[in-house]
Amino acid sequence: MDAIRTRGLSKRYGESLALDGLDLAVGEGEVYGYLGPNGAGKTTTIRLLLGLHRPTSGRAELFGIDAWADPVSAHARVAYVAGEPYLWPSLTSAETLEFLARLRGGTDIGYRDELVERFQLDLRKKVRALSKGNRQKVQLVAALATRADLLLLDEPTSGLDPLMEMVFRTCVLDAKERGQTVFLSSHILSEVEAVCDRVGILRTGRLVDQGTLQELRHLAAQTVDITFAGPAPRLPDLPGIRVASAGPNALRFEVSGSIDPLLAALDGHPVASLTSREPSLEEIFLHHYESSDGVGDR
Amino acid sequence: MATVEVGTRPSYVALRALARRAFADARVRTAAFAYLFALYSFIQPVGYRHAYPDAAHRAAFAHSFAENVGLRLLYGAPHRVETVDGYTAWRVGGTLAIAAAIFGLLASVRALRGEEDAGRTELVLSGIVGRRTLSTAAAVAIGGGIFTLWIAELAGFVVGGLPVAGSAYLALATASAAMVCAGVGAVASQLAPNRRVALELGGALVGLFFLLRVVADTTSGAGWLRWLTPLGWAEELRPFSGLQPLVLLLPLGVSVLLLACSALIAARRDIGAGLLPERDAADPSLHLLSSPAAQALRSSRGALIAWTGCVAIFAFILGTISNSISSADVSAGVRKQIAKLGVGSIATPTGYLAFVFFLVTLSIVVFACTQVGAARDEEISRRLETLLALPVDRRRWLGGRLVLAAVAATVIALTAGVFAWAGAASSGASVSLPRMLEAGANAVPITLLFAGIAALAYALAPRAGSGITYGLVAVAFVWQLVGSLVSASGWLLGLTPFAHSALVPAQPFDAVGAAVMVAVGAAAAIAALLLFERRDLVGD
Repeated sequence: MDAIRTRGLSKRYGESLALDGLDLAVGEGEVYGYLGPNGAGKTTTIRLLLGLHRPTSGRAELFGIDAWADPVSAHARVAYVAGEPYLWPSLTSAETLEFLARLRGGTDIGYRDELVERFQLDLRKKVRALSKGNRQKVQLVAALATRADLLLLDEPTSGLDPLMEMVFRTCVLDAKERGQTVFLSSHILSEVEAVCDRVGILRTGRLVDQGTLQELRHLAAQTVDITFAGPAPRLPDLPGIRVASAGPNALRFEVSGSIDPLLAALDGHPVASLTSREPSLEEIFLHHYESSDGVGDR
Repeated sequence: MATVEVGTRPSYVALRALARRAFADARVRTAAFAYLFALYSFIQPVGYRHAYPDAAHRAAFAHSFAENVGLRLLYGAPHRVETVDGYTAWRVGGTLAIAAAIFGLLASVRALRGEEDAGRTELVLSGIVGRRTLSTAAAVAIGGGIFTLWIAELAGFVVGGLPVAGSAYLALATASAAMVCAGVGAVASQLAPNRRVALELGGALVGLFFLLRVVADTTSGAGWLRWLTPLGWAEELRPFSGLQPLVLLLPLGVSVLLLACSALIAARRDIGAGLLPERDAADPSLHLLSSPAAQALRSSRGALIAWTGCVAIFAFILGTISNSISSADVSAGVRKQIAKLGVGSIATPTGYLAFVFFLVTLSIVVFACTQVGAARDEEISRRLETLLALPVDRRRWLGGRLVLAAVAATVIALTAGVFAWAGAASSGASVSLPRMLEAGANAVPITLLFAGIAALAYALAPRAGSGITYGLVAVAFVWQLVGSLVSASGWLLGLTPFAHSALVPAQPFDAVGAAVMVAVGAAAAIAALLLFERRDLVGD
């Protein structure tokens, strides 16, 4: 059974369509990266997955349970971290952890103590005296300590410093090791690249691309830099390949699809050096956002 | 373009700009207080002349009221209340002085600490402005606010027909309390780690000032205590009854001293911290964390205690007054108007207490609405998302908050009954405890009705809900007041729930009316639970 499954999930707020026919399936044990800039619909997706907002059409299921119709059962196997930590200012960190643990049940106290240590959380401080990053850490510790089957994380590292960001990545990899499912909504590409098995890219409410990093890379252009032994030759126009000058004797090729036509065209031109680089997630991401219309741009 | 030449008193320019800014920031509150001061000081002489038109009435009034403990508690010791100006000075001396004290505290904590906590002070100090300039500007702005109140009060008296010079002196007596408490607020702002604690510290001291004055005015032989509180100094100035202008040196001296102290500490402490350490850390206390409703009770404990305490104190005071209202005290016209509400004669203890509980009921209804408003705030501030992402049921969450509101309102209502009885009994009125408990309990059905309506309004329209609820309460209450004063026909008056809440103890408890109100309130609450489950959560 899938941990998350949505079918034709749409949400309209007044005039604006925040989410448009989302079909998503995240298998158990998977770490899924959910990418998109601000306003793409990431948080809307999570609110629908948690049954906090009602779908305009379609449905969202967690472990086969309808998130809107039966949220309490659905949440029994889920832990959630919001992008903005909304906690109770008069409680201390320790009291907040206790409150959330009692409401949810099933918290692994030993693991929680370990997490408090790892995230260097000051348990005696009141929430109102904590910085945003520290409040975020309270939320993260509370969620991770449940060892829930599914972790729904909405930009969980906003406000964390680079050291804590590393602690967070380790914790996600630990969770993956234990067979937990992680749904990580983010716009920090390096984070997604580091921990996720599969990535979905959201743009203005639509899922425009989805797959493993390998799959996404094959579909985007790879960069080939060639320095020639003599002056750079004039090559014929090649299908799917863009050429740009990269110095007196050098050319840079953006290759979408097969590299064979380029290799054939190079025949007879002495090559001094050749480097080829796969696109980074950042380039894949920008590729999807730089083209102006959002529909069928692949 | 106003460029500042270096060396030509730039601090004066900055001082003026900062003082203006601080004064303007507080303008809404200043205007509200000024309006209240002008109106209140105008009503006193005018109302007195209207209610006690001749010397015989005034002498009877002075005789019966002079020794009433409850009234001394509220207004202070009376001097020459058989005259218009003496009466006005007495009425204003206790009430406006405490309002002025609160104004002074709020104004100075806002100017000296609120700005700092908002982070703006840091910005200002990062420029060429020094701390002394900042302190002075705040003092100037606070002084401007107090001056505005003085003018407003003076205008009220003069329009009300009192002599100008005496009125100016009386208004100065009121303002002196504001000055001292502004000084208290200034020092508290330097001691406390943040604005909230500064207000708590200053508020506690102002409360102590009030308590000292009350004891001094109501206990024989304790009159000397008046010299320990600025509210007592305002009395000792003796406006319109043997002026003691030298006493002014006390509030003047003390407020200057306090402001100087504050400026001295301000120049030495760190921005964003006080001399007292911040209590933002604590050992965990794990009680009342087992459910959202328990946690709500935990976080609103302070507010609940304050509500209960205030209602208890006022019920007690009004209870002590209940036995001393004689027909001579209240003019025939006023008595007739109040009798139209159905309480009978307010010159009897039961009539008076019934009238008082009509008002107590209103305040308990408002309390219940604030509790529903607190639940709404949980959603608007998005903390509810944190809760409902857990296996927490929406209906149980809202239901728990409603039960909490109902139980707390019931406790406050019964407390009011007990304390009104204690006050009445202490002054020898023949009112029984069960009857006063009944009067308190009588406030519960209409409270449940409005709590249900408030919940329904919140479930339907989370943003506008609070406004709708308070609007409905106000309309219903005014409907009842105006409707009974103009003797509206039965069915028209029957449109407001207040018409169905019996005026216990003057009238018997109306079981049918109460049952209908509870039923409608419960139906509204159930509808609220069902509707709340069907909508999106909202946030700020």
